[in-house]
Amino acid sequence: MGNKQTIFTAKQLDTYQDCTFFTRKEILRLFYRYRDLAPQLVPLDYTSKPDVKIPYELIGSMPELKDNPFRQRIAEVFSADGEGNMTLDDFLDMFSVMSEMAPKDLKAYYAFKIYDFNNDNYICKSDLEKILNKLTRHELTPEEVCLVCEKVIDEADLDNDGKLSLDDFQHMIIRAPDFLSTFHIRI
Amino acid sequence: MLTEEDEDYFTEPGFHLPGTPISNQMLPSLPPLPMQPQHNHHSEAGSPSSEVQQQEWIAERLEGDSRSVKELPLNLSEKRRIRERQELRMRKMSGWNSWMDRQHRAVQRLWEQTTEAFQYTEMWRGSLHRIEGHFGSGVQSYFSFLRFLVLMNFVTFLLVGGFIVIPNMVFEELQLKINTTSPVTTGNQTCFDYNPKRQGLVQFYEYVMDLLSGTGYMELTYLFYGFYENTAVDLKTFSYNIPLAYLITILFYFLLSLVWTVIRSVNRFKQSLVNEDSSLNNYSNKVFVGWDFCISEEQSVRLKQNSLRYELKMDLEEEALKKRQAAQTKLQCTRVYTLRTIVHLLVLALLGAAFYTIYVATGYSQQLISQDSVVSSNFFLGLLVQYLPSIVITAAITILPIFFNIFSRLEKYSLTWEIKLTLIRCVFLRFASLVILLYSLWTQITCNGQKDESHCKTCGYNNIYPCWETRLGQEMYKLAIFDFLTVLVMILLVDFPRRMIVQHCSCKLIQLWGQQEFQVPSNVLDLIYGQTVCWIGTFFCPLLPLLNTIKYFIIFYLKKMTLLKNCCPAKRTFRASSSNFFFLLVLLFGLALSWVPILYSIFVITPSKACGPFQGQFFIWDTIPNAVEPLPQVTKEFLYFISSQAFLVPIFLLLCILISYLVALANSYGQLVKELKVYMQLEGRDKHFLVKQINRTE
Repeated sequence: MGNKQTIFTAKQLDTYQDCTFFTRKEILRLFYRYRDLAPQLVPLDYTSKPDVKIPYELIGSMPELKDNPFRQRIAEVFSADGEGNMTLDDFLDMFSVMSEMAPKDLKAYYAFKIYDFNNDNYICKSDLEKILNKLTRHELTPEEVCLVCEKVIDEADLDNDGKLSLDDFQHMIIRAPDFLSTFHIRI
Repeated sequence: MLTEEDEDYFTEPGFHLPGTPISNQMLPSLPPLPMQPQHNHHSEAGSPSSEVQQQEWIAERLEGDSRSVKELPLNLSEKRRIRERQELRMRKMSGWNSWMDRQHRAVQRLWEQTTEAFQYTEMWRGSLHRIEGHFGSGVQSYFSFLRFLVLMNFVTFLLVGGFIVIPNMVFEELQLKINTTSPVTTGNQTCFDYNPKRQGLVQFYEYVMDLLSGTGYMELTYLFYGFYENTAVDLKTFSYNIPLAYLITILFYFLLSLVWTVIRSVNRFKQSLVNEDSSLNNYSNKVFVGWDFCISEEQSVRLKQNSLRYELKMDLEEEALKKRQAAQTKLQCTRVYTLRTIVHLLVLALLGAAFYTIYVATGYSQQLISQDSVVSSNFFLGLLVQYLPSIVITAAITILPIFFNIFSRLEKYSLTWEIKLTLIRCVFLRFASLVILLYSLWTQITCNGQKDESHCKTCGYNNIYPCWETRLGQEMYKLAIFDFLTVLVMILLVDFPRRMIVQHCSCKLIQLWGQQEFQVPSNVLDLIYGQTVCWIGTFFCPLLPLLNTIKYFIIFYLKKMTLLKNCCPAKRTFRASSSNFFFLLVLLFGLALSWVPILYSIFVITPSKACGPFQGQFFIWDTIPNAVEPLPQVTKEFLYFISSQAFLVPIFLLLCILISYLVALANSYGQLVKELKVYMQLEGRDKHFLVKQINRTE
């Protein structure tokens, strides 16, 4: 079935299969989804490894992402240039990590990067405030936001530096069994 | 380049990339952090070539890792490079190693393809996907549970049908039944009087009534126990003992249900165990794990945001309330405690009243059915009398939880405790109603356990029931049908009108009432109740698993339709993971409950003399010793030994010792975890202190 396609070489498909959690069929299906975002930009022949980037505005308009309050951070984290413009590799990587086959620790790593808005390797209070406002659409009062941020840092900060490092975050995620089912995008 | 200390620093195994703050090195722009003096020559930020070098260096280190490439937290081009390097290394390997590697990869590919193929055979995958997208994983867990019940009922029906129903049909067709297994000798003639078919001119509506309540001509079908006979087929090459097959199949049916449910609960238990202290991580869970990335529609997203905001507000309010309560005076405390005691007593009183009503209603209904005069005269009256126990039970199950909800608000427990307590009360109500129904039937059938009473003296059971097992089967059959009808009626007459009223009428009171929320706990308890009824009834009504499969199949589509059309997502999200295990535990409890009447009937009550595969025996269990008799001496002695006390008591003691050992082990692990947590906090503080010292000296 997959031998008739001319988009990728067999070696490329093998590599994708080894480097993501997707099967051949899913990779091809995802390629078509990627192409549908910008048919004029994306060629049908990837055997020559063209360097094509889809701008963030188009990525953010995908039905799976368009209503997600964290879509910009997700695109930024997975894109190579950090701005949200994604190549096919970035695209596949993103959905592979967000798929249901990815293990918990891998997802926790990327979740940490997504929630770290200022990219300083710590989730500090300002990051938490941004997360809360995105989660509740700015409808909590500033005092409530402050209280919740303090409580979160109280609960999860183990080394007592006032912000969450990757270790603190992972330790907290281990104790959250819902994480695998909520940190998951179906495509 | 790499010093010895670096090697030590990076050889820790464990999830995220060997070594602790190496995570910093993965990100593009990083200022040199004072906490990692050894990394100074790596972490010069800004110059892209050094970043690339870093990443390459990291990737080199990771090749020694045993994880597959796809699980590494690197971007795809990095992974590709690592994979290429792995392939190069593979080519340099000897022929044997590379062949092994190739085989390993081929097996992996095959495995992936088969799992992909299996995914398409998964039932209702698309529907569950849609439900998860709109309503989140809590509601999806209900439908996943429903699918599990459909599959379990279907497979167990294949077992029961294959060994009980189909052989009987085949033998009937081929006219093969020859010998009776136990000649019916003793007993008064009145015990053998069994004629369920209606005599004389039968009105049409009486046929419909018979269909709905399992009486009349329905009793003489494969549906009920009474139709099966105590015969055996004994040809030269093939023999089939029907009573033995009946008994053993039912036992295997229960065993299969038990094994399947336990396997499913063990998986959920692993998840739930990790979530031991959910109260400790309440806020962090809500903030980091609360957003369901599967939700994809703007309206659902808005509702999810509203629900998160509502939950956070409620939690903050609860904290404030707790602080106020802690500062209460003694007088207020005593007032709260007396209020709680009063509420508990009220709840017990309500439960007692409900149980008494069920008991009386069942007894009354049974007497009226036996008299048969009222039942046959009027269609609706007859149906009412037949379904009286079901109606009373359903009324109790629907009305009492409303009172429980009102009372729980008076008790002023914390929100989590309130929910748990209401849930426990509802579970108790449902199971106890079934128990009361069965108890009432038992008093009728065995004349309160007194074998010398006038009705029970002649046959060993109440002689107004020529075939008491069929009667029990009929009651379960009626419960199952009424349960299904209730779901249908609630959807048609309550859900749809409510949505239409709320949509079209803009009166404030109606808008306050609001749209229906899909209540997962009460729906799941309904399913468990229906499944328990099926388990109790299968011995007396072998086709009940099939009926249950069809019933749950239709209910899936009905509930999906009402969910997608009439319901809005609940304000408080339902935590699927922690409750999944609880509901499976309740299901197991229902299974254990269903064994009680079956085992009691098998071991204690005299089987009916006029019908059924166990006619003429003193107890249903006698089939097994009778079947063991003709076996060779060695097997017989072995089986007798296994069932004797000399064997069972030591086994039981051994199991007790094993359980206490496992409990002690679990306790010690719990202690170890607590100590490690404290140790980790101390480590953090030490690190903080050392960093301060370093900064001071610098």
